[in-house]
Amino acid sequence: MSQTKPNSYLLLSRTDEWYRQLSHDELQQILAANKAWVGQLIAAGKARPGVALARSGATVFGGNKSTVVDGPYAESKEAIGGTLIVDVATLEEAITIAKACPSLRYGGTIEIRPISGECPLEACARALKQTEQLVPAAV
Amino acid sequence: MSTPNKNGYLIIFRSADWYKGLSPEQMQQVADNWMAWFNRLKDEGKCAGGNPLEREGKIVSGANRVVSDGPFAESKETIGGYFLLTVNSLDEAVSIAKDCPGLPYGVRVEVRPIAPQCPMVDELAAKENLAHA
Repeated sequence: MSQTKPNSYLLLSRTDEWYRQLSHDELQQILAANKAWVGQLIAAGKARPGVALARSGATVFGGNKSTVVDGPYAESKEAIGGTLIVDVATLEEAITIAKACPSLRYGGTIEIRPISGECPLEACARALKQTEQLVPAAV
Repeated sequence: MSTPNKNGYLIIFRSADWYKGLSPEQMQQVADNWMAWFNRLKDEGKCAGGNPLEREGKIVSGANRVVSDGPFAESKETIGGYFLLTVNSLDEAVSIAKDCPGLPYGVRVEVRPIAPQCPMVDELAAKENLAHA
């Protein structure tokens, strides 16, 4: 955790639609605070413009005959509301940035995940191959 | 299902550590297929980018800013990565999601329209309209 080269972290915001309960003034205030938070990060080169997600969509799962269901649903606290990529040297700095998110005062969570330099599948396959090579072939 | 959206779609891959049961060769095959899928979508101008995520990280919660660990490795809901699609309809985004090479291994693909602006801005506008009505 002592490297200084910027890494990328994905911040995932999860909330229900808490902002619907706010008054006009409260909404205006939190919007301005959020805008300032992201604006400062972008100006400092520590974040890229994020995306807000509509509270609709679909989920696809299953094998060859895949199933499609609507959702996620607006009322879910687990639904992802938006994402932001931050470019900072350490996970600690990414956490500090997440803690400063103004919306958190109304609840919800921010998940912070390091973005991989390579596909984790390939890394896993390589590690397994190395392990296999350490095991004598003829036992 | 077919509401047009010119802002694109985020497709999110969710799963537990599904590939841990595969042989290195199988894993490499799925990884190659996934990369080929991504590159094809980019070549077709349907994908603006994407990233895999490490199965680690932290969660910051609520007004008290409580910091906690995952779990990211075991949960079936864990997000493993995402693509940003530049297609115009949910139908097309879903049809792309159906080609995900991880689906036979239990990966779930969430397809979400990108909002033109923060939904809080919409809420504020709605409240202002109400006040002027």
